[in-house]
Amino acid sequence: MGKAIVITSGKGGVGKTTSSANIGIALAMMGKRVCLIDLDIGLRNLDVVMGLDNRVMYDIVDVATGRVKLVQAMVKDKRFDDLLYLLPAAQNTDKTALNEEQVKSIVDELKPDFDYVFIDCPAGIEQGFINAVSGADGAIVVTTPEISAVRDADRVIGLLEQHPLQETPKLIINRIRKSLMEDDNYMDVDEITTHLGIDLLGIILDDDKVISTSNNGESIVMNPDNPTAQGYRNVARRLEGETVPLMKIDVQKESAWDKFKHLFKRN
Amino acid sequence: MQSVVLKGTKDGYELILKETASVREILVDLKQLLEGLGEESEKGKDQLHLNVQMGNRLMSEDDKNDIIKLVDDYDNLVIDNFLSNVITREESAKIMSENNVEVMSRVIRNGQEVNVDGDVLFFGKIHEGGKLIATGNVFNMGVIEGIVQAGCPDDESKLIIGNLHTAQQVRVGEQYDIVADRPIEDSEKTVVYVNDLHVLSYGKIKNLKEINPKFFNRIGGIE
Repeated sequence: MGKAIVITSGKGGVGKTTSSANIGIALAMMGKRVCLIDLDIGLRNLDVVMGLDNRVMYDIVDVATGRVKLVQAMVKDKRFDDLLYLLPAAQNTDKTALNEEQVKSIVDELKPDFDYVFIDCPAGIEQGFINAVSGADGAIVVTTPEISAVRDADRVIGLLEQHPLQETPKLIINRIRKSLMEDDNYMDVDEITTHLGIDLLGIILDDDKVISTSNNGESIVMNPDNPTAQGYRNVARRLEGETVPLMKIDVQKESAWDKFKHLFKRN
Repeated sequence: MQSVVLKGTKDGYELILKETASVREILVDLKQLLEGLGEESEKGKDQLHLNVQMGNRLMSEDDKNDIIKLVDDYDNLVIDNFLSNVITREESAKIMSENNVEVMSRVIRNGQEVNVDGDVLFFGKIHEGGKLIATGNVFNMGVIEGIVQAGCPDDESKLIIGNLHTAQQVRVGEQYDIVADRPIEDSEKTVVYVNDLHVLSYGKIKNLKEINPKFFNRIGGIE
């Protein structure tokens, strides 16, 4: 029996969909059976990020309303031999097209066949959020080191605590920029984690390649050397129960010699 | 014995209802009593204020209205209050909780609002955007980065005590301060209160006796 985990954030644009795709792929690379459910109905993206958008035939609303069987709507990712599946969101309706019971029954139907079921939650705390949370056993809250994202994460954690899931929510801090880590006004990882008061599942460095790879329908996590990919792989290993030390963010300081070289260059 | 007796006390007139009598009996006897009374008091046009003493029972609103209707027929009689020796469980629980100090050590997150009847001893943390609203006093030993209100909705005799310099707003009764505009000292000994001019003020615990003598006596302060 697998575990259903909702990936949520409150605020939009912090990387829920990218994180869902990358964590899912990282676990599939470890040999786990993973199903990703896109619940951002009306504004679906997960299929695009995964590079599966041209294979979508049916969607979750078709399944919920009984038009097709669950297996018919699931899209297989051919890169991972029978390990990774996507259940896409509908594009021609909105978040109110589903209710909690429907989502819960779909998730419950998937859980016996998969090790992990990830639910990609839409931004906001309305019906879409309620639907996404209703079927989940655990939650991953994604935030970025920005005050607005942290505030919304706080709000979402509050809502999750009001209706506790089986497991306490876990935190991913996304889009950490090395160059800003030294700035005193920048919120650092410790500060955000202690403020929100939940367990840290991982930190993900910002990288321009995240965008360029997902534009091509690939995922950063498949790149073996990239530190951002390393972050996602660490998250996957921690979900599997391994103890992985937190990635060190080595800020490259300019040495006296580098400065000297710079001077030389200008001249 | 009559089920309704009119009695003069030092606070005015009281209609005493026999608690073992049925409401129907009471209404009949009351009508009789009022008729007699009406004739007597016709000459003096002064209004007569009455309190109705229900004894060891509570009457329903309908029964009370029947009594009020009967008395209303007489221009010079007015019912002020219905009095009783007993209260409902609900009411007693409310009175208990008002005098109770609730100990709280939770996190109040952005968007959450916690309402408390009575006083709060707070050990937890209020995040930015969280609200702690008490009808009584608030004693803070935790961290407040959100909004805290004492004496909700309009009791200006209540206090907020503790370190409040990281809060967003402090409110007592209907008075409020935005901390960013009027910084509070970083001290555990701060007392927030409303002064005689109905303005929110800040004091020290050592001056509690001057700030609010009633509260000082209640907590057993000595000189």
